[in-house]
Amino acid sequence: MTAFLAQRLGQAVIVLTVVSFLAFLLSSQIGDPVVSILGMQSTPEDRAILRARLGLDDPFLIRYLSYMGNVLRGEFGISYANQRPVADLILARLPATLELAGVALFMSLALGLPIGIYAAIYRGHWTSDAILTATVIGVSIPTFVIAILLIFAFSVTLGWLPSFGRGQVVQVGWWTTGFLTESGRRALLMPAAALAISQVALVARLVRAEMIEVLRTDYIRFARARGLRPRIINLSLALRNTLIPVITVSGIQLGFLFAFAVVAEAVFQWPGIGLLFLQALGSTDVPVIGAILLLTAAFFVAVNTVVDLLYAVVDPRLRAGEATGRPAGGH
Amino acid sequence: MIKRHLLAAAAAVALIAGGADAQNLRYSGATPALTMDPHATNDFVTTAIFRQSYDSLVGLSLDMEIQPGLATAWEYLGDATWRFTLRDDVTFHDGSVMTADDVAFSIMRQKGSRFYTALFGGITDAVVVDARTVDVITAAPDPILPRKMARLFVMNKAWAEANNVVDIPDLGAEASEAFSIRNANGTGPMRLISHDPAVETRFEAHADFWGERPGNVQTASYLPIGAAPTRVAALLSGDVDLIVDLPLQDIARLSATPGFKVDEAPQLILMQLELDGTREAALETFDKAGNPLNANPFKDVRVRLAMAHAIDAEQIVDRVMRGKARVAGIAATPGFGGYQPDLDERWPTDLDLARSLLAEAGYPDGFVTTLNCPLERYVNTEEICRATASMLARIGIDVRVNGMVWPEFARMLVNGPDSSFHLIGMGANSWDTQDTFSGYMMTRNPEANEGFFNWALYSNEIVDEVSRTLPVTFDENERTELYRRGLIAARETVSAIYLHQPMLVWGMREGVTAPIRSDATVTLENVTVN
Repeated sequence: MTAFLAQRLGQAVIVLTVVSFLAFLLSSQIGDPVVSILGMQSTPEDRAILRARLGLDDPFLIRYLSYMGNVLRGEFGISYANQRPVADLILARLPATLELAGVALFMSLALGLPIGIYAAIYRGHWTSDAILTATVIGVSIPTFVIAILLIFAFSVTLGWLPSFGRGQVVQVGWWTTGFLTESGRRALLMPAAALAISQVALVARLVRAEMIEVLRTDYIRFARARGLRPRIINLSLALRNTLIPVITVSGIQLGFLFAFAVVAEAVFQWPGIGLLFLQALGSTDVPVIGAILLLTAAFFVAVNTVVDLLYAVVDPRLRAGEATGRPAGGH
Repeated sequence: MIKRHLLAAAAAVALIAGGADAQNLRYSGATPALTMDPHATNDFVTTAIFRQSYDSLVGLSLDMEIQPGLATAWEYLGDATWRFTLRDDVTFHDGSVMTADDVAFSIMRQKGSRFYTALFGGITDAVVVDARTVDVITAAPDPILPRKMARLFVMNKAWAEANNVVDIPDLGAEASEAFSIRNANGTGPMRLISHDPAVETRFEAHADFWGERPGNVQTASYLPIGAAPTRVAALLSGDVDLIVDLPLQDIARLSATPGFKVDEAPQLILMQLELDGTREAALETFDKAGNPLNANPFKDVRVRLAMAHAIDAEQIVDRVMRGKARVAGIAATPGFGGYQPDLDERWPTDLDLARSLLAEAGYPDGFVTTLNCPLERYVNTEEICRATASMLARIGIDVRVNGMVWPEFARMLVNGPDSSFHLIGMGANSWDTQDTFSGYMMTRNPEANEGFFNWALYSNEIVDEVSRTLPVTFDENERTELYRRGLIAARETVSAIYLHQPMLVWGMREGVTAPIRSDATVTLENVTVN
């Protein structure tokens, strides 16, 4: 287990180094931060002074190394546009995105799992085909279109849900949560649903395929032969073995939902990381862009590590460390 | 959600005003207010928000004319000195009384801001003469200083000292947040309650506001909503009462929806196409065979005129801007100091004239060039550029449209300028045509602060002379004569191809009365909510 964690840590360091380098390269291409900060009305002297102050005159490699040095000390700098420490900004926005991605994941599993199970058990029946087709429609429509359709249905026409924002939030330590107020919970529904809809089909198809495979195995057939009730066979024996790939995919999904929440955040003015990132891109806010890209990469790595650890919980064969059936890092 | 807010607001106001009706306005625009420190940004959206809390020294009427504000009177004493007389009944939001010390402090604080060098860099000192009088001394005489002072915001000196924000928060200076970024202490009609840039900026009426308050708004929230369809949906569903950036395509639908109305006012921006004035060879410009042109066709005034006569600004306003713009004929717009209504007549669209001018200049077959086009900064820029290209194609000039995101476009101009033909919005800093001359048209020499925004390197002797004479001329009649000379010379030599002045369009629900002002400020003291 220790060796596994050490290996993972090594991978994380490599991934983060590459991402940070690319982020730095990117942010030096999208405009001149000094022009973005001071505007076109600034004098050349003022721009020169600010350029020197921000260290933008130094060669690329030196700037990159000094940036990484600061990052390693936990200093992400000050946002050019907001004039506030980047770490504060991100910490303030992180709960919004995590709650959104978490609820979206929950929704996609809550819908996708039963659909997949149903479609596996009633394979070939017209109802399961119909449901699966319906989920495909969800994948085919872009998230922002779904989002706008939802707003027009539930905010403008029916007037049930707020069209934007997070509603009232409650501060719990440094974390702000929307779960504790009615307006917060209502505000979460549409953005999470918009994100979840495209994921439902993925979960449902995966569960269906895995479950069909499991149902074909010998021990399920023996269980049937023993006369066990179908309910126990399907939900207790078969489903348990179906869950391993689902966990892997859910982990990757959570990473995706975190990174691609940007679409839902932009449409619903959800005050999360994605919205901050878009704003930073528009104003050449290099420290914010860099920090968010690093954070997203770190999040992916962390989620994958946790997923691998969860395998051991679900699949007893892996607990002894002998990966006999399924390879541990096989995704 | 609205009910909850109304109830909360009602409770808050009931405590303060003793049971008066709670009038809450929720309004929304596309971008957030970045900072509440009035001297730390020149972003116009942000300015429109912090103006609720910070008054300018000289006031601005609803039609953008200067009027008495914190200063009741001003006079030129000679010797590059303006004297401002202050009101004596002004209180800050923390209850302290505004003094000449606060004003002098604010002038020097804002003058030192990197964002305001172009506007206030000429100020050398602000001298407190007595409790109600401040003298402002400039390096050179400045006849339009009072107009500029409509952008000078007064902050409480003692508050700034107590909260360690005497100096403007400087980027990269220290890794902590300055107090003035999310807190305010001004004299404006609304007191800042809270500021979370991404989510909400909340205000309540300042009970001791010195000015008039024709409206009835007691509390207000500014809620940025970046996505245009969502902003419109928020208005339609009653989540907000007023939106200040109504997309052109939604105007007709919103006006046709019962319970909603649309209002508009011209923006203080002039959209124009700038043409390379002096380069030996124009950039990205070729002959029809694709070989780089060794000459600069734009240097020839006949080519400039040909293009001006070929581009039909009225059609652009009708089709691309859906009528929500005003065709411009000179380099000034109504609301600018020095605007001359009788001169405002555009080059007539005349393709035959354009073709013959082009032939006279030696380009009977036209040429090929590139139009640099900023995307999304102004309304429908991409469509304007495409329309321009197809109109110029009619006289043989083939135009490739090069769309660029704003940061990239700004970098090209500011660090170059590296463009021979581009679309841009021109808005003089002080809303006076004097600045248009000295900033946008004077032969470019950034070191001397001349022609600072003359990105296309236009150059004309008469305009240069006017640019030099206006800032030292105080006589009104002489000034008018100079404005006219300059504007006529600029049009005759096509300082740029003037297109139009876009409209600001606001959408609001019935029951909200909000006078629209050209600087995009919702003056909350004038808003009525029923």
